[in-house]
Amino acid sequence: MAKLFKSISEEYDTYGTISEQGEIVFGQVRGFKDIVDGRSKYAPKEFLISRNENILYLPKIEKKAVFGIRSCDLKGFYIMDRQIYGKDPFYTARRDNTLFINFVCREPCEGGFCSSFGGPVLEEYQIQVIPDGGKYLVMVSEEFEKYMKDFKVVENNEIEKFRKDFDNKMEKLPVEGIENRIKWNSKLWKEYASICISCGACNFSCPTCYCFDLYDREDERLREWDSCILAGFTSSSAGNNRPELDERLRQRFYHKYVYYKKSKDVYLCTGCNRCTEDCPVDIDIKEVITHDYSKE
Amino acid sequence: MGTITVCPYCGTGCQIVINEYGSSQHIIGYSLSPVNEGKLCIKGYSGLSYNFSKERLIKPMIREGDSFRNADWNEALNYSASRMREIISKYGPDSVAFQSSAKCTNEENYLMQKIARMAGTNNIDHCARSCHSPTALGLINTIGAGAATGSIGSLEDTRTFFIIGTNTTEQHPIIGAKILRERKKGKNLIVADPRKIQLSTSANVFLQFKPGSDIALLNSIMFVILKNNWQDNDFINSRTQGFEEFRKEIEKYPPEVTEEITGVNPSLVEEAAMMIAKERPAAIFYAMGITQHIHGTENVMDVSNLALITGNIGVRGSGIFPLRGQNNVQGSSDMGALSEFYPGYVRYDSDNVKKFEELWGKKMPRNRGLTLSEMFDAAADGKIKAIYLMGENPLITEASVSKVEEGINNLELFIVQDIFLTLTAAKAHVVFPAASSLEKEGTFTNTERRIQKISPIYKPPGEAKPDWWILKEFGKMLLGMEDYSSPEMIFDEIRKVIYNYSGASYDNIFPIGKQWPINKDFPEGTEIMHSKSFPIGRGKLIPVPFGYPAERADDDYRFIMTTGRNYYHWHSGTMTRRTDILERESPEPYVEINNDDAMMLKIRNGQVITLESRHGSIKIKARITDKIPSGIVFVPFHFVEARVNELVGENYDPISKIPEFKVVAVKVIP
Repeated sequence: MAKLFKSISEEYDTYGTISEQGEIVFGQVRGFKDIVDGRSKYAPKEFLISRNENILYLPKIEKKAVFGIRSCDLKGFYIMDRQIYGKDPFYTARRDNTLFINFVCREPCEGGFCSSFGGPVLEEYQIQVIPDGGKYLVMVSEEFEKYMKDFKVVENNEIEKFRKDFDNKMEKLPVEGIENRIKWNSKLWKEYASICISCGACNFSCPTCYCFDLYDREDERLREWDSCILAGFTSSSAGNNRPELDERLRQRFYHKYVYYKKSKDVYLCTGCNRCTEDCPVDIDIKEVITHDYSKE
Repeated sequence: MGTITVCPYCGTGCQIVINEYGSSQHIIGYSLSPVNEGKLCIKGYSGLSYNFSKERLIKPMIREGDSFRNADWNEALNYSASRMREIISKYGPDSVAFQSSAKCTNEENYLMQKIARMAGTNNIDHCARSCHSPTALGLINTIGAGAATGSIGSLEDTRTFFIIGTNTTEQHPIIGAKILRERKKGKNLIVADPRKIQLSTSANVFLQFKPGSDIALLNSIMFVILKNNWQDNDFINSRTQGFEEFRKEIEKYPPEVTEEITGVNPSLVEEAAMMIAKERPAAIFYAMGITQHIHGTENVMDVSNLALITGNIGVRGSGIFPLRGQNNVQGSSDMGALSEFYPGYVRYDSDNVKKFEELWGKKMPRNRGLTLSEMFDAAADGKIKAIYLMGENPLITEASVSKVEEGINNLELFIVQDIFLTLTAAKAHVVFPAASSLEKEGTFTNTERRIQKISPIYKPPGEAKPDWWILKEFGKMLLGMEDYSSPEMIFDEIRKVIYNYSGASYDNIFPIGKQWPINKDFPEGTEIMHSKSFPIGRGKLIPVPFGYPAERADDDYRFIMTTGRNYYHWHSGTMTRRTDILERESPEPYVEINNDDAMMLKIRNGQVITLESRHGSIKIKARITDKIPSGIVFVPFHFVEARVNELVGENYDPISKIPEFKVVAVKVIP
């Protein structure tokens, strides 16, 4: 891996997972040994969507390679590509200039349900790494094969075997058909609204949420990550057409499991469980999938 | 690289990690923090962009006629110090006053009070006067320490939560969320509030009582407890004093009698009393709903009475939790930025003041200083000639703002130190541009006494400087005070002065902080206070008779107005109103009014109406809701466009001098 890292670092600024007072975050790294093998505390969306930036000018985009992003977080970009790649010039320029080297988790994380959405070994990737006790199984897409010239090629049944083993360890949720089962008048939405504190954590933590707020400050036009849980989000001169919190919470789940599926043929969710982890009141998105709507 | 620091907003003191690389930035809650366990509210996530506002002050300024001219630091400091020196030599040290800030660090608060006292006056105070001065005075009187008795983490052991006068999910969202998580596990939740706050929808018992009837309600709960013999006799006998006399007072408050005052059904009082006394440990939370009354200190003492007779103190999961509004109210009070206390709550007239005289090498003032509101009154009367104000905006936040303005206009010297040119700063003779809390080093002490380190993430804009730097330069010029080279050097002095801080150091409180008392008896800090005894020996049970608020509804003024904050804004809005997402969520002032009242007065949602009290009037949009009962209206105080404090009169708690922000009789004029 050190060798692979070195050849990539000749072309890209290198970033990776590092530990900061026990918290795994992303930072600039100089060598492969600087990288901590662990799941970061957050999905590193800011590599492609700045938290807050002036959109009047496209800044100089550096070529970045990001080591250690988890499959669930990377998959988010492939899903949002369908909506914003080619349309959002900032996202598109960064997407084209960023190389993600995703690390596949060997063990299920607590609460995670990525296997329900095809994880953790992804079909779409740039360079995908399965750490294997000091060794690394590396899958490379065509574009990046140049980095792999000197490495041994193995049969991909090892990967198949890994997939099967992982599936045995993580229970799959009944995701299939949720867009038809979910109920507009379910009691869940009001239940959630009674405890939701509108913090926006579910949006900010989500690897597939891409919505933003737009505002002017002096000579800048800024966009900033936004949250659809807030009443001011998408509000018009007549106010928000979802004035109640339960309606906004429902909208979020419908967007994830109904609308995006129907328009882009994929669910807007990777099973990362980050929204649930970061939710201060323990609203669990898995319940939206597993809830028995037929009894309501 | 990630930097761990503390959120600049409420007293919860959530630790945030700001991870910055290149132009990108990510803000997360620090998952190892025992305070917020990796969670944040919207102000933590989306509330920090004020820091980059182009309206930030970047140069010192000196008044010239109706406007300001830029000055360099040397000139501005010199000018201020020499003007203050002239005033002191002409009128004496008690002609100057200092107003510190709960948004500044411990080090800065310590420095400011030191400057005041070295200059020879106890005229040092800060906004805790308007929020938790009754807590400091009330709890020091009853249990010997004006601070939360337990920790946020210990709430996992709580069986009953009693929330009175705090809209926790909006004002301390991460603590509110913690309570909701515990509630989900089946714990009891009792909510007492005049408004249907969010927590009330999850409560087992909701006591919707009338504003200002807190003592009647609390006494009736204790009446039920004593009547049923549910009190903790062992605790009362071994740990408290004054029970017999206290009991006599309580006997006057059967819930059937208090119902007329509180509006609360006796059976609900009964249920609440049973849970607090029998389903222990019970933790009691309160905030401004308890303190901002003319009976504020008595309200606090009555909360303390309830905890004491039920033995809900000193045990994990139990306790009294005064929720602090600003990130450093606890710390700024600990530091002695209060007119009656030197650092560590040494009273101005106590022998222990000698300690400071020895350490600071000067005779210290032994007279009582003026409180925040008294300072402005004294200025209006010409007794106070100069005020040095740091990081506050009293022209919006103080009661009776017109009186405040009169006082400021009468000053010979008004120095304001802030990050923005606030309404108040615009009146200054000298303005010092300060660094924000994301740009400096120091410590904050949160609502559970946790001393936490803050670290600079960004560079201050222009020539703005950290408050501690400005203060120590001013102190050098005014008094020849020593030159502190870093906040840590100030903290090391604090450790020498305040025993409860003596065991803390910048090294050992990083990263997750430590709770005071931290000293040689408790080298690791103290999660649960009062577990074996109180600092004053036995806890005092103090009979608290009910008295009505200063203002009551009558035929002329038929509504009772209460004031407070909303979820998205912070105090005078200096920060949050410059933060786009927060401002978008709450862009304008409003008054909450009950559906039935609105219908009767033919008021439509969004209609501009007039609120008039005996002291002033404002125009404001109506927001019709069932969250507020008939006869009561609520107005948040964040908005300069409709300063609700023009309506609040000069009614003060005689003990703590806190104004009665929570009960104002008003007319609603469509």
